[in-house]
Amino acid sequence: MAGLLLSPTEKVFIVHGVQDDHRSDGRTNIDYRPMELETNVVSHATGSSRLRLANTDILVGVKTEIDVPTPEKPDLGKIEFYVDCSANAAPQFEGRGGEQLAIGIAKLMQAAYHSSDAFDLKQLCIFEGKQCWKIYVDILILECGGNLCDAVSMAVKAALFNTKLPSVKAALMDGGNIDLQLSDDPYDAKSLDIGTAPLLVTLCKIGDKCVVDPSAEEESCSVISVVVGVTGNPSSYSTEENVSDSAKESKFTTIEMVGSGSVAPKTLKDAMNQGMVAAKLLDKALGEALLRERQETQVKTKKHSYGFLR
Amino acid sequence: MPLDYRRFNGPEDSIPYKRFTKDFVKSYDELFKELLDDKGVRKDGRALSEARSMCMFFARADMVSQAKGSAYVELRKTKVVCSVFDPREIPHQNEFSELGQIFCEVKFAPFSCPRRRRPHAPDAEEKALSVALRKALEPSVCRHMFPNYQVDVFIYILENDGACLSAAINAAGLALADAAVPMYDIITSCTVAVIGDKMFVDPTEAEEYLATTNPDTPINHGLLTLSTLSELKQISDFIQIGSMDVVSVTNAMEVLEKECEKLVPLVQKVLVANVLKCFAQRKRLEEEANEREKALNSKMEEWKKLLNAG
Amino acid sequence: MSSDFNVKRPGLELLSSQGLRLDGRRPNELRRIQCKLGVFTQPDGSAYIEQGNTKVLAAVYGPHQAAKSKSLQDSVVINCQYSMATFSTGERKKRPRGGRKSEAISMQLTQAITTAIKKELYPRSQIDVYLEVLQADGGAYSASVNAATLALIDAGIPMKAYLCSCTASIAWKDGKPEPLVDVSHVEESAGGSVLTVSSLPSINSVAWVDMSQRLHADYLSVVMKRAMQGCRDIEVILDKAVREHLGESWTMSDDAVAI
Repeated sequence: MAGLLLSPTEKVFIVHGVQDDHRSDGRTNIDYRPMELETNVVSHATGSSRLRLANTDILVGVKTEIDVPTPEKPDLGKIEFYVDCSANAAPQFEGRGGEQLAIGIAKLMQAAYHSSDAFDLKQLCIFEGKQCWKIYVDILILECGGNLCDAVSMAVKAALFNTKLPSVKAALMDGGNIDLQLSDDPYDAKSLDIGTAPLLVTLCKIGDKCVVDPSAEEESCSVISVVVGVTGNPSSYSTEENVSDSAKESKFTTIEMVGSGSVAPKTLKDAMNQGMVAAKLLDKALGEALLRERQETQVKTKKHSYGFLR
Repeated sequence: MPLDYRRFNGPEDSIPYKRFTKDFVKSYDELFKELLDDKGVRKDGRALSEARSMCMFFARADMVSQAKGSAYVELRKTKVVCSVFDPREIPHQNEFSELGQIFCEVKFAPFSCPRRRRPHAPDAEEKALSVALRKALEPSVCRHMFPNYQVDVFIYILENDGACLSAAINAAGLALADAAVPMYDIITSCTVAVIGDKMFVDPTEAEEYLATTNPDTPINHGLLTLSTLSELKQISDFIQIGSMDVVSVTNAMEVLEKECEKLVPLVQKVLVANVLKCFAQRKRLEEEANEREKALNSKMEEWKKLLNAG
Repeated sequence: MSSDFNVKRPGLELLSSQGLRLDGRRPNELRRIQCKLGVFTQPDGSAYIEQGNTKVLAAVYGPHQAAKSKSLQDSVVINCQYSMATFSTGERKKRPRGGRKSEAISMQLTQAITTAIKKELYPRSQIDVYLEVLQADGGAYSASVNAATLALIDAGIPMKAYLCSCTASIAWKDGKPEPLVDVSHVEESAGGSVLTVSSLPSINSVAWVDMSQRLHADYLSVVMKRAMQGCRDIEVILDKAVREHLGESWTMSDDAVAI
């Protein structure tokens, strides 16, 4: 992103490579770059995660608040996404420079989490019509190396996986008001049910083909990308064997086109199918990684946190 | 959001009385039953796959006299006005941009929505529609013809009864053509609402609302908007929200493509009528001018005679 | 001093009867500092610092040509932006930057950093320093200065000396004043004045000083001394980190040659 300049020849090289299913970093069109994921990195947040996908660096912090549900939906909680493009990522983001990009990503995430098939807001309800949890998902973009949407959605899912809501010990009814007493015990808390939370997959159209996980260089060769949001499989996120939710198929929760170009109908359909396959694999890998980390934490009781020091 | 101090606003935590009326407390099933009768005919008498016709009478170009180009589109109760202004230099820009830009602004009339009054300041939905409109229009306009300039497209939604984005895109396409902005192709757009296995083509507001609310059972639901450049066989924008499986999305896409195709001759007719009207008007003006000149000449002759005589 | 007099003073409960602080530190003990240079690849220089629970990321871009309106004929322009992540504090922040407080801190950072850089080497140029506080637990400003120093070194920008910053406050033990170094958030909010000093310890000069509340003039020198001692201690840590970082990259390039 920062001062990325490509000559026409370099662009031709990338475009031709993609046509032959070969990319400049040795991947094929359907390969992701290696990523690093760590959860529970910010102690002031209820849940947090940091994802590094090659050069793309995302930090997500989840904060919770008690709020009043909307009168239209008394039994649903609230979830809100906020994206901040740090100036660390690119000098252009200084001040309000990153706002457009940030709003675009936040809106995509909001659309992807809109359906109850993706994220059930009923689990955030405390007292119907009176009180519910409001989840703030704050996404901080620290470095842009292409493919922001995918990285953001994965980091968000990991952070939500890491989030635990304290359980309500007692509620005092005083007239119409409710005074809640929350448990102080950090172990007396329930995890969120995020198995179905969607992942976004960006399919970047370069020449006549679509690639997943485009690098910043590849993004600059493309005029249009298709972003699909696909629900996850809950069985990848649970250690219990009896979750027989294999019947639950993956669904599209959002599809959007990003960029100023247009695509042929067939390319769009191919891209959607490719995105579905990629999202399923990604979701499985993410679930395995998160479960492994949780297990390690439980065994060692105190995890050594790497943060940015590695 | 800045508060609107000019108008009388209710207390912040007030609940509109409509919330307690019969229509509001209806369950999902009741609402769904209302949309279709036993024969599968919709509330307004249309069949499921029948779009609201955009015939010549309800769509016309050249509506707003101050604008360079304008259009009005009416789909029963959805009414949209669009005006396009001359290209002007992009304000507050330091760098030269090789491609011209399209600036879109969608605005709802305060009385346009049945559910609530629209606030004065642009809200999130209006901003989202503006972005979607710009994305849809960008591939259809020859932007290299006016580098460093921007064309302003303003949409005013007088009444919203569903499918307002497609109506806005159709109107903007007409207005751009009316303003003689160079374009690659005619742009047409259509919306479909999916609930279960039913596909509501060109949905009304009630149908849209139900398609985006969460059903009690996990069935396919969602809202899809597609805009195409039919001659070029390209899709300029595709947006989906909700939760749908692959088959459902693919089917909906095919339906949408066909519907967009159907709109092309209608748009062409409107444009031809507009051009004919312009020709007729010009001819009339020319004739009038000729007459005036003739009258003037004869007057001159008279005076000359008088002068010579005197 | 009568006990009555002591009760009114803030910071009385900050030291236990054994003379230890709330988090178990001695009064002259810094929090654990861990830092790393070169965390990112895109910026010209970057650094990460952890001071206890305060965590700050810094990125430096430049020097590059300055914008015409800002450009100075004979020296470099420092452009600093301080922002705090929305989840960095106990209560969620609405905006990461743009508030009056963060604008003020950006200004103060610019002042402090400008003193430490050899400005005359880059006329008509600009250096951007961006700071992102990931977690704030007291002394976010100090940690930011230290992180900025490391990032500037990583970017290879010539400096006069290490620019280090440290906070100090005052507490009472047995009726005697006992200055505390590197104040945490709990100690900060318990009251009492916090003195923040940015200095260049090796050339023994002070770049910037700020005091949050009133403090009796008699105690200023003691607190100041403690803060300066803190700066010197931090300098040693930063110096070690820089040397380690450079050593790492040297050995790495050695390996490359060997292969």
